[in-house]
Amino acid sequence: MNIDSVPRLSPGCRLHPAGDALLIPEGALNLKGPAREVLARLDGKRSISEIAADLLAEYPAAPPEVIQQDVLTLLERMQQRGVIRYDP
Amino acid sequence: MTASPQPGKLLPPPFSLIAELTHRCPLHCLYCSNPIEMQRAEEELSTEDWIRVFRQAAQLGILHVHFTGGEPLARKDLPELIQAARDAGLYVNMITSGVGLTEARLSSLVEAGLDHLQLSLQDIEEVTANHVAGTRAHEIKLALIPIIKRFPIGFTMNLVVHRLNLDRLEEFIALAETLGPDRLEIAHVQYYGWALKNRDLLMPTEEQVRRSIPIVEAAKKRLAGRIHLEAVVPDYFGSYPKPCMGGWGKQAMLIDPSGQALPCHAAAVIPDMHFQNVRTDNLSSIWNFSSAFQRFRGDAWMPDDCRSCERKELDFGGCRCQAMLLTNDPNAMDPVCKHSPQHALMEELRQPVASSQMFPIWRK
Repeated sequence: MNIDSVPRLSPGCRLHPAGDALLIPEGALNLKGPAREVLARLDGKRSISEIAADLLAEYPAAPPEVIQQDVLTLLERMQQRGVIRYDP
Repeated sequence: MTASPQPGKLLPPPFSLIAELTHRCPLHCLYCSNPIEMQRAEEELSTEDWIRVFRQAAQLGILHVHFTGGEPLARKDLPELIQAARDAGLYVNMITSGVGLTEARLSSLVEAGLDHLQLSLQDIEEVTANHVAGTRAHEIKLALIPIIKRFPIGFTMNLVVHRLNLDRLEEFIALAETLGPDRLEIAHVQYYGWALKNRDLLMPTEEQVRRSIPIVEAAKKRLAGRIHLEAVVPDYFGSYPKPCMGGWGKQAMLIDPSGQALPCHAAAVIPDMHFQNVRTDNLSSIWNFSSAFQRFRGDAWMPDDCRSCERKELDFGGCRCQAMLLTNDPNAMDPVCKHSPQHALMEELRQPVASSQMFPIWRK
């Protein structure tokens, strides 16, 4: 996975409409801090760098390299857990 | 000692609702977890009853609903029920035999809000698979899988393993791999209900279980990142009990076809249980205050050796139904535990019975 990858939620995974949780088969992941903001932007069309740019537009105070790295780290962790797929 | 809830103070909600929509089923699996005394179609809850239950469940804080049975497809109102559960805010899983599921029907269920589907296979060999299911379902299931894969839902394949098929586990996993589910469960039969009647036939040998462990471990590694593999080990071969249902009255609530609320599939085998019914009581009061859910919560009911054992935080005292079924005392230590005075019983049960003495008993 790199900043040009296009991530999406795996089949059977979706954000809970109200709470800060990702609903997955047989479970739920509690989402802390900006994780929900990132996951809500996965549409299977935008790349990680585009998602990071979108977040930056909303939170201009944060340093761009930090945001990009944070998004990448989060999505890699989610991919390990099987709840994210991506196109290279 | 953890106490019962004080008046006015509510417990954390269950995570999931197990909705046994019906006991009707086209399959007659030897290991079915349904009770021996099954409920008839005319006793089933109405559409309106179930819709009310889903709303109360979401309000209580439940996240997942598992539609199961019997066969959920036997309910004509299934799309309506899925839609109502999804509208209430629940994640909707359906556990199905696939018999009677066409592409058009699945399309209507997905449109209604189905999130996830679980299908089990009985074997890799058709003859044994159909023998275990008591009907010709194997080909139907295999033909259905590519259709399921066309839909944007999560898909879990479940391989139910026991003495008759455990020696073919490697090929069984290889078949699953080619069919490409998102998740794969390898589930040993749990000996309750119909499975208990067929225990002599289905219980694997120790040798079989030992050989299967590295096969599962290797598959986990090989499939990582593609197929998420979960394996349920048979507790008859363990030294410590399983945390059954994630603890009594802790994680899950089961509603049977007639509306009785149970802490687990088998709870009716325990004497002197009184189950409240969703026709007359709401889920929150059942969860927080009913005697059935209170009975084995916390550690007040435990034998002294369990109450002073640090593993009580891991296994919550094991399985009450198993204690009842194997020792005839629902308050006894789960005999799977090596500290149980009746643990020797497990060794006896692990001894294979000559196959000439066994007759399969199919679920009705």
